[in-house]
Amino acid sequence: MSRGRFVLGGLVVAVPLALALLGPLFAGPPGPRSVSFALGEGHWLGTDFVGRDVWRQVLLGGRTVVVTALAATALGYLVAVPVGLLAALTHARWLEELLMRPLDVLLAVPSLLLILLVAAAADPGPVGLALLVALVNVPDAARIVRAAAGEAASRPAVEALRMQGESWWRVAVSYVTRSALRTLAADAGIRLTGVLYLVSTAAFLGVGAAPDAADWAVMVDRNRTGLFVQPWAVVVPAVLIVGLTTGVNLLFDAALEKKGRARS
Amino acid sequence: MSEDSVAEIRDLRVEVGGRALVDGVSLRVPPGKVVALVGASGSGKTTTGLALLGEYPAGARVSGEVRRAPGAVGYVPQHPGAVLHPALRVGVLLRDIARAHGRDRDDLRQALADARLPEGEALLRRYPHQLSGGQQQRIVLAQALLPRPRVVVADEPTTGQDPETKRQIAERFAAVAARGIAVVLLSHDLDVVRALADEVLVMRAGRVVESGPAERLWRAPRHEWTRRLLDAEGVPPADGVGRGVGGVLPVGGGGVGRGVGGVLPVGGGGVGCGVGGVLPVDGGGVGCGAEGVPPVEGGGMGCGVDGIPPADGDGIGRPVLEVRDLTAVHGRTPVLRVPRLVLRAGECLAVVGRSGSGKTTLGRCLAGLHRHHDGTVLLDGVPLPRSLRHRDRERLAAVQYVFQDARAAFDEHRPVLDQVARTAVRLRGADAHAARAEALDTLARLGLTGDLPHRRPGALSGGELQRAALARALLARPRVLVCDEITSGLDTVTRRALLDLLAGLPADRPGLSLVLITHDPQTARLAQRTVVVEAGHVTERAPGPLTVCCEVGHKGSRVKSLEGSEAVVRRLGRHRRTRRCP
Repeated sequence: MSRGRFVLGGLVVAVPLALALLGPLFAGPPGPRSVSFALGEGHWLGTDFVGRDVWRQVLLGGRTVVVTALAATALGYLVAVPVGLLAALTHARWLEELLMRPLDVLLAVPSLLLILLVAAAADPGPVGLALLVALVNVPDAARIVRAAAGEAASRPAVEALRMQGESWWRVAVSYVTRSALRTLAADAGIRLTGVLYLVSTAAFLGVGAAPDAADWAVMVDRNRTGLFVQPWAVVVPAVLIVGLTTGVNLLFDAALEKKGRARS
Repeated sequence: MSEDSVAEIRDLRVEVGGRALVDGVSLRVPPGKVVALVGASGSGKTTTGLALLGEYPAGARVSGEVRRAPGAVGYVPQHPGAVLHPALRVGVLLRDIARAHGRDRDDLRQALADARLPEGEALLRRYPHQLSGGQQQRIVLAQALLPRPRVVVADEPTTGQDPETKRQIAERFAAVAARGIAVVLLSHDLDVVRALADEVLVMRAGRVVESGPAERLWRAPRHEWTRRLLDAEGVPPADGVGRGVGGVLPVGGGGVGRGVGGVLPVGGGGVGCGVGGVLPVDGGGVGCGAEGVPPVEGGGMGCGVDGIPPADGDGIGRPVLEVRDLTAVHGRTPVLRVPRLVLRAGECLAVVGRSGSGKTTLGRCLAGLHRHHDGTVLLDGVPLPRSLRHRDRERLAAVQYVFQDARAAFDEHRPVLDQVARTAVRLRGADAHAARAEALDTLARLGLTGDLPHRRPGALSGGELQRAALARALLARPRVLVCDEITSGLDTVTRRALLDLLAGLPADRPGLSLVLITHDPQTARLAQRTVVVEAGHVTERAPGPLTVCCEVGHKGSRVKSLEGSEAVVRRLGRHRRTRRCP
């Protein structure tokens, strides 16, 4: 059962990931433009709203979305994990407040609004977009880290470790983080989905990607108008995004289930 | 099903992954009777009890027959907190259950009354964490009684409770049985089984080794295992005592002048306490006072009876730890006041009191785990930092603490040996290899041999883990070892073994002082000095065995309904005759 899920999750995630990362290598030079929203005529996925080959756009358009989303998620955790851990393990109430309260304020601002506001002031580009998305994910992630780590930190095992004279690092990393890992892995699966959604939405709204860029999210947006004439230009990139998020979640589920079984 | 039973199990076999949890168990539950399943943890009690509810472990292969009268079966699990919703007031869940079974407010009130919750209505507005363990258990019992079950299954209802609370719990279930509801009691606590059970089934390794009416079983146990179970609960077997005494005798050999005060034939009184012996007792020691020699019961349980040994070359008898003007708080509420308390090298101090009296807080203050107190804890006359985070290596090693819940006190991801060895690495600067060797040696001496130390905590039993926890603390070579209720929650045989280990410690480690936090009179008997914590106030009572006498004698009238305690009262009553109780 678990093995089946691994394989299924792996397959579902492998296709969009491979296309996103390796696609640009096989895209080749741009061919001559043809009619908008055409089917066939040498383009086996048809053409898009300006007559470009959809297959080539698909090959080229994954990298920005996927890399931005992965980078943003990783960056978010890079900040959230230490902050949450510190807040969970400290006995100093003021330090916990100092770390968590500002994040609560940030939590209250709708993330898309923040991105649009910044984008209105200056075009962030893909790197800026990744930073922005990471930033809006930090408060959420930090709270979850703190809650999961706080639960582990209140166990007698932590007191026993301190009684043994273990260092802060060892307690924090080898026990607390490890105990919180299950929660964090589940959260990471959901968060990556959320981040993909946010990056796609931002691209869809023209932030972080040019309006005619080869980008799965932009493709969905721009080719919408021809959906009933030439569905592939919308369906293929949309399915790839859905596949990526679903596959990632399946993989995390399978990994957690296996770990849980190994423990019991 | 026969007319006169509300539930019946015939030839039940539950198998998980090829291993039989329960094999060939048959039992019959008559209405209004209490059927007790006793046995060590892991003997299949819970599996059998859950079978009555129609519940089996995941992936279990079940054969045999379980029949029960129509109607619900109530279940009171071991940890009542686990079945209450932490974010809901307890009343909400109770009313939901009432609605689901078509019961009205009067039924609810009745169920609360049956669960002995007269103050029920007010409690219903609280959240689970605002209730004590006993109150949670009563709420869960009320939940179980609401659908008007014919049978209630209670899993270890008295684990980790003090004698007074145990008595109340026993009373509660007696009242349930009196209303014609059959009670199936799963327990390794023989006191409560004695007080309640009409019928007893003794289980071992998934099989019923002996069953019969309670009186017959207590009087004349047929199976060897039953005898061991009953023996272990009573007085220590002779070999344990031998070990204890052997350890004690040499102490004070190089003493200062007045070492051996008197020679005392021991062991007159008790129920089957068949060990005589000769014991040197220090005349002028702190513990015994000057009045003379305390009557000793239960033989020389190690550090128990030797009195305070006279100071010798090792500095045994000198104060190690001193508490001055300590007031501990939780939030802003003061929970414990200790004007002065001195612990001497090589002595064993019992801290007794009801749960919630503040005795654990006292232990945690000593170990630096509870830093919210004013006052000072002095080690060799030098104040210890309040929080263990500020204690340096030597001082951290000097005062070690063994936790009540050994399972929760181990990291479930790493093998036990690695965790135990770390103490020597961190606190004594031993290199990893030597630390492992020493850890293996210590574990072996505490009875953990073979591949047990190499397993993860999940693969060890509660008793084994508690020994490992003891080893982990001992590897620091502590001068003071605080043991917090380390025997509660263990079955009688395991508890006995652990007590024997504790009793043998002083012989192994001269100069080690023990602080035993407990509400178990048997454990407290190991100590030569006892302090009683009552509602946060600490009073000291003279010699160990006598203290238990005074305590039980004092509460005697109230614990009468527990037959086991009655035996204690009787036994100690004899001592009272020997020597007046203050």
